[in-house]
Amino acid sequence: MRVSPLLAALAALAAVLLVPPLLSSGDSDSAGLRGLRVLVPNSPGGGYDITARTAVKAIEDSGLSSGVEVFNLPGAGGTVGLGRLVNERGNDKLLMSMGLGVVGSVYTNKSPSSLANTTPIAKLIEEPDIVVVSKDSPYTDLAGLIAAWKANPGAVPVGGGSSPGGPDHLAPMLMAKAVGLAPKDVNYVPFDGGGELLASVLGGKVAFGVSGIGEYRDQIQAGELRVLAVTSGKRIPGVDAPTLQESGVDVDFTNWRGIVAPPGITDTARDRLVKLLSDLHASGAWRGALERNGWTDAFQTGPEFGRFLAAENARVADVLRELGLA
Amino acid sequence: MSTLTDRRFDRRWLREHSELGVCVVLAALGVLVLTDALTIPTDFAQRGPVGPKAVPVLVGGLLLLVAALLARDVLRGGKGEAEAGEDVDLSEPGDWKTVLLLSGAFLANAALIGLLGFPISGTVLFWGAAYALGSRELVRDPLIAAGMSLVTYVVFNNLLGVPLPGGPLVGVL
Amino acid sequence: MDSFNQLMSGFGTALTLTHLLLAAIGVLLGTFIGVLPGIGPAMAVALLLPVTYGLEPTGAFIMFAGIYYGGMFGGSTTSILLNTPGESAAVVAAIEGNPMARKGRGSQALAAAAIGHFVGGLIGTTLLVLLAPTVAALAVDIGAPDYFAIMVLAFTAVTSVLGSSRVRGFAALLIGLVIGLVGLDEMTGQQRLTFGSLQLADGIDVVIVAVGLFAVGESLWVALHLRRRPAQPIPVGRAWLGRDDLRRAWKPWLRGPLIGFPFGALPAGGAEIPTFLSYAVEKRLSRNKAEFGHGAIEGVAGPEATASASAAGTLVSMLTLGLPTTAVAAVMLAAFQQYGIQPGPLLFQREPTLVWGLIASLFVGTVLLLVLNLPLAPVWVKLLKIPRPYLYAGILFFAAVGAYAVSGQVADLLVLFVIGLIGLAMRRYGLPVLPAVLGVILGPAAEQQMRRALQLSDGSLIGLVNTPFSIVVYAIVAAVLLWPVVAAVRKRGAERAVTKV
Repeated sequence: MRVSPLLAALAALAAVLLVPPLLSSGDSDSAGLRGLRVLVPNSPGGGYDITARTAVKAIEDSGLSSGVEVFNLPGAGGTVGLGRLVNERGNDKLLMSMGLGVVGSVYTNKSPSSLANTTPIAKLIEEPDIVVVSKDSPYTDLAGLIAAWKANPGAVPVGGGSSPGGPDHLAPMLMAKAVGLAPKDVNYVPFDGGGELLASVLGGKVAFGVSGIGEYRDQIQAGELRVLAVTSGKRIPGVDAPTLQESGVDVDFTNWRGIVAPPGITDTARDRLVKLLSDLHASGAWRGALERNGWTDAFQTGPEFGRFLAAENARVADVLRELGLA
Repeated sequence: MSTLTDRRFDRRWLREHSELGVCVVLAALGVLVLTDALTIPTDFAQRGPVGPKAVPVLVGGLLLLVAALLARDVLRGGKGEAEAGEDVDLSEPGDWKTVLLLSGAFLANAALIGLLGFPISGTVLFWGAAYALGSRELVRDPLIAAGMSLVTYVVFNNLLGVPLPGGPLVGVL
Repeated sequence: MDSFNQLMSGFGTALTLTHLLLAAIGVLLGTFIGVLPGIGPAMAVALLLPVTYGLEPTGAFIMFAGIYYGGMFGGSTTSILLNTPGESAAVVAAIEGNPMARKGRGSQALAAAAIGHFVGGLIGTTLLVLLAPTVAALAVDIGAPDYFAIMVLAFTAVTSVLGSSRVRGFAALLIGLVIGLVGLDEMTGQQRLTFGSLQLADGIDVVIVAVGLFAVGESLWVALHLRRRPAQPIPVGRAWLGRDDLRRAWKPWLRGPLIGFPFGALPAGGAEIPTFLSYAVEKRLSRNKAEFGHGAIEGVAGPEATASASAAGTLVSMLTLGLPTTAVAAVMLAAFQQYGIQPGPLLFQREPTLVWGLIASLFVGTVLLLVLNLPLAPVWVKLLKIPRPYLYAGILFFAAVGAYAVSGQVADLLVLFVIGLIGLAMRRYGLPVLPAVLGVILGPAAEQQMRRALQLSDGSLIGLVNTPFSIVVYAIVAAVLLWPVVAAVRKRGAERAVTKV
């Protein structure tokens, strides 16, 4: 039998138009949160990605919603994803997983959209940075390190796992300011993530490292690394080190991750999303996830989180301006 | 203005030495890299003697040098060998129409993917590319193209969870 | 002998029916997903993470090992058959592998790759068992000046792939270096050649560059000079490696791991540079130099064995230091943490069953990879029998999906197309494509390590040569550069001696 080309083209068109919607329907409805999507502004396996996927899994496991889709839109330290979110004005089915790194990236990338344009939903977790040296390092406490650092900042290179503007870069800059060093004098050496930095700290290539504690716990336990201080206001359970403030350096700094929504969504929609995350926070699945990943709970919602974002933004802008990056 | 024969000779000379265009492009690229490097602001914190400008300046300078060396080579009669291959027939003059059609198919995919979704734009890409390259099976081609796009869509979107835009009817039906 | 006993008990863990099955599923899934455009092993592991949620940790990691090796091999498959590398470690495999496939020796290329992965995996994993603690301790001592010295060595090796015209080869290299400059400067956060575009701030991924120059450029070039008379289908040829192939490939298979393993274990090693160095070494040592660029089997066998061994090396630093040196390792580290396991110096004591089970399953995985994929090679090659318009339409389709799927941005498609146009122009005017890809790989790495070294020494140039390792590497560089001179002098001396007689 001969099929006419027109018929074939029509059949092809019908198939490509109709099959995708037929395959994607069938998600069960729950509390008006059907079809929620979470934008992850970095690549699979990165920090925001793991937070988002863990949270979504806990949401689904505790039956708070279903069919939540996580998708990645990496680029420019999260500002590509941020730009997309800000463009989706009024879309109350979209969330973005983000954190302190995005605040700095907005400046270093000269991003046209900023976090002030988003609707803050909730801060989920935080992770303090640690000031760490290898076990063979001449520095046994923070005071000794600071003294050497102030005497000759160029000869005391500090390594961090993030590029300029990221959390590991901001922490030593804030420390420098607190002890009276100009941020410009800090010899900051960026590495590709905490892993590569770890090797340089272990090998004594940098005088000290500043990084999230995540990848370092085992090395600390094994005695290969010495933690001189933690950057948060409170000590970390299981880590024998004072806070910066206890050691006389007035800095309280933690890396954090949270969730924001597009601008211009209705108050009802915002409250619904805040409630979803509050329910998540209360769930056993999320407790378990916090513990497994070694994350510190730092739950904050809505306006409170908004004020926190604004304060963080001001602090980051302040440091980066002194460095000529903002 | 020169005489007609002169101009014809000029044109032939230019066609034979079209590789000089490569030199021009390389030189322009060098200038671009150099200007970009020199417009990097200098008021930011920098440690160490080598800043963000050094390597671009080096690369830009080398581009200018290589452009000049290549121009000398071409004027002395040197010629870049066009790449041969089984599917390539260098005895025929270039067929820009096919290239344009093929580029059109590729760019149509880029333009349509957000608008009409991947299954449609992918079909356009595959069918368009096959058509550009001489396939005229007007029944089989669109069906194969649609099948490829749909299978890819399902594997990525539904099985792997890598979202691809599904088209205007997703969420409507 | 302690690790031997532990390894044996590890085999006890890995060779249970369930675990064997999980490893096999992992290898198959990994291969098929690795074949998909744009999805390298890191993505494959990340995407299949949910599949393993229901498993106990040992089973899950055994499956990961399978996915990892399978994914790497899948990436090489598309590299060889379609000239579209699925990941950066497979870029080099396309250089000789694709011409081989075009000549109807696709099965041989795939078999050389599969055996290369097998040998590389086997040797790499053995070295992992024997040397893990030692290598890990040494890896920590390798710093920025050493990396920079290695980059200098790699740059001298580039000269061996510049092609017949030096100046055109250099032009291509420079084009690659320019592409590599695009993006935010990692040391100071300054924009370079981004023209204010956020999409360009992260730079252009080397896989996009390779796919653009190789696959898109090739398709456009073919379109420009399309052979109008009916082309005979690409011959599929015999399915097995001939005696001649084996004679040429066995040494590269064995040499590759020696280059790949140490690089994988290094904190900033990765697989791009060692695979390229392996290629350069094989080209230098081969008796069939003229065949390079047109489908020399050594150029597939060596780099593929290197890639696989470097994957094993990656696991050394991940398991013993908790230090992820590649994207895959980072994803696996995240997976470990999902199970509440922290890799690091204490892992071997704390979780011996898991670690040795994982290592044993790496051996099992390499064997399965070979057993499953050797028979598949002739099947894959049938892909090439489809008519030319469909073949090239499929390659373009494939390239476009790969560029778009990962980040979902139209900008990436446009970048891919522009690079494809560059590839077209380079083919038209005889600029070799390979140096451009190497420029993208080596340029940024060299600049970063050099500046990092100078920063660590607080600006003193001594900082570039203040380690024994870097001095040794520079000595090798000097030897490589001076060798032709010495050889020429000696040859002239010999000729003179002959004329005298």
